[in-house]
Amino acid sequence: MTGDKKARRIAVISGKGGVGKTVITANLAAALAASGQRVLVLDADLGLANLDIILGLDPKHTLQDIFRGDCRTEDALIRTAKGFDLLPAGSGLQENTVLSRNLADGLEALLAELDERYDIMLFDAGAGMGDVVLFFATLAHQILVVVTPEPTSLMDAYATIKVLRQLYERDRFLLVVNQANPERPHETGTSVARHLQGVISKFIDESKPPFVNLELIGSLPRDPAIPRSVRNRQLLLDAQPPPASAPFVSTIADSLRTRMT
Amino acid sequence: MLKKRIRFDPNSGNSADEIKQYDLTAALRILRHAGRENPQLYAKDSGEQIQNVIDALCDLSVHDGMTGLVNATFFHVVLAREIERSLRTGKPCGLMVLDIDHFKRINDTYGHTVGDRAIQSVASNILQNLRSMDTAARIGGEEFAVILPECRPEDAIAAAARIHSALNPLLISIDGHDLRITSSVGVVWTEPDHFQSSGALLSEADREMYRAKRSGRARLCHPPVKSTAITERERCSLMAFMNEENTHDRR
Repeated sequence: MTGDKKARRIAVISGKGGVGKTVITANLAAALAASGQRVLVLDADLGLANLDIILGLDPKHTLQDIFRGDCRTEDALIRTAKGFDLLPAGSGLQENTVLSRNLADGLEALLAELDERYDIMLFDAGAGMGDVVLFFATLAHQILVVVTPEPTSLMDAYATIKVLRQLYERDRFLLVVNQANPERPHETGTSVARHLQGVISKFIDESKPPFVNLELIGSLPRDPAIPRSVRNRQLLLDAQPPPASAPFVSTIADSLRTRMT
Repeated sequence: MLKKRIRFDPNSGNSADEIKQYDLTAALRILRHAGRENPQLYAKDSGEQIQNVIDALCDLSVHDGMTGLVNATFFHVVLAREIERSLRTGKPCGLMVLDIDHFKRINDTYGHTVGDRAIQSVASNILQNLRSMDTAARIGGEEFAVILPECRPEDAIAAAARIHSALNPLLISIDGHDLRITSSVGVVWTEPDHFQSSGALLSEADREMYRAKRSGRARLCHPPVKSTAITERERCSLMAFMNEENTHDRR
């Protein structure tokens, strides 16, 4: 086994769309790369991919071109200015919103090919809990759930966790609480995590082990600099003046790194 | 290939008898090319002959030549019919999907003849473990499906488990090669008060089968008998927090 050399795969999911999953993934990737990790971000939102947009890139090739045999894996990989690699996916490709056998086999083979070149692979999965999202979650060693303190976000995150627990026997989840109250982001994070864990324990675990463990690895405060950075197609860490939320990203990245065992 | 094309021309003035003769000749040719020729197709009595030809054509159109199981096209017809029946009767219909593990390896190592024989062996083992109302089909190269009508979830799981255990492992000897074949199985069922297309049900079964593959192969996977739908109590518990938090936030 060359287990030690293989990349740690982390799926970033949320259930609900628009909670900041893609922004967090991109910024985490930059922070992890800055700490010396070899990082690959895979745009796992195969139908509506837009990581490239957030990163201000204009990809020549995408994941779909690799599968169609139109380019080699190397041709589609983009080295970003922040030192991590991106494997972009095309947008508007309805055929990839359904997990076909070819797609599943193709993705598994592709990840196996890339496994030893990176320390960390981040999958930026799409919203919802469709086949493709669940597939990436099952391929990942760790699942990072992004929520906001909104009822719809909590509900969708809960529903996704429930499906992953009941159908895929996943019982460990990392949690990032986005759009936390800027005056007390840690408190918002802690109370969201505590509450979600409470509902999970009561209704999903039902006193039957293995129990679902939801571990808060950080909060990101509501910050007007975040939507601004998206509009400017730049990362938080590059925004000027340095936004208040930027140090929180680094903290989340550090905390993620210490849990990659 | 057909040597001579048989064309029907409505303006040719062919008599009805001639056209009938054309039809019969065409049907016999199809059956001959499919390797389904037998003496009954040439019965002396023309009524009997036509009946035998029709039976043989029907048989050819619904069965898979290699295994004798139902083919993929007819499988979808039966599945759609059974889903409809399940909606009407309120009794769930189960669907099992089975895929031979590492089949490509068998083909690459021993050749296609051995691979084909392995497929036939798996098919005959599936047939031996069916209930009388079940329909087994070959729906892909090394992929099979079994429709399990009138099955509660636990019955569908039990029926699939029987086939799964008969096939895991399947030890066969082909042309002096001793093979140990395993298969991954997924089984799902319809919710009788909720319409699902045959395609959607098949995707679900496929998903379970992939789960079996990914969790080490040779396994049987099925959704929890318990629903993953969010209950009213769960919804209320989640919302209770939000109300509390918002009051807090607005302070």
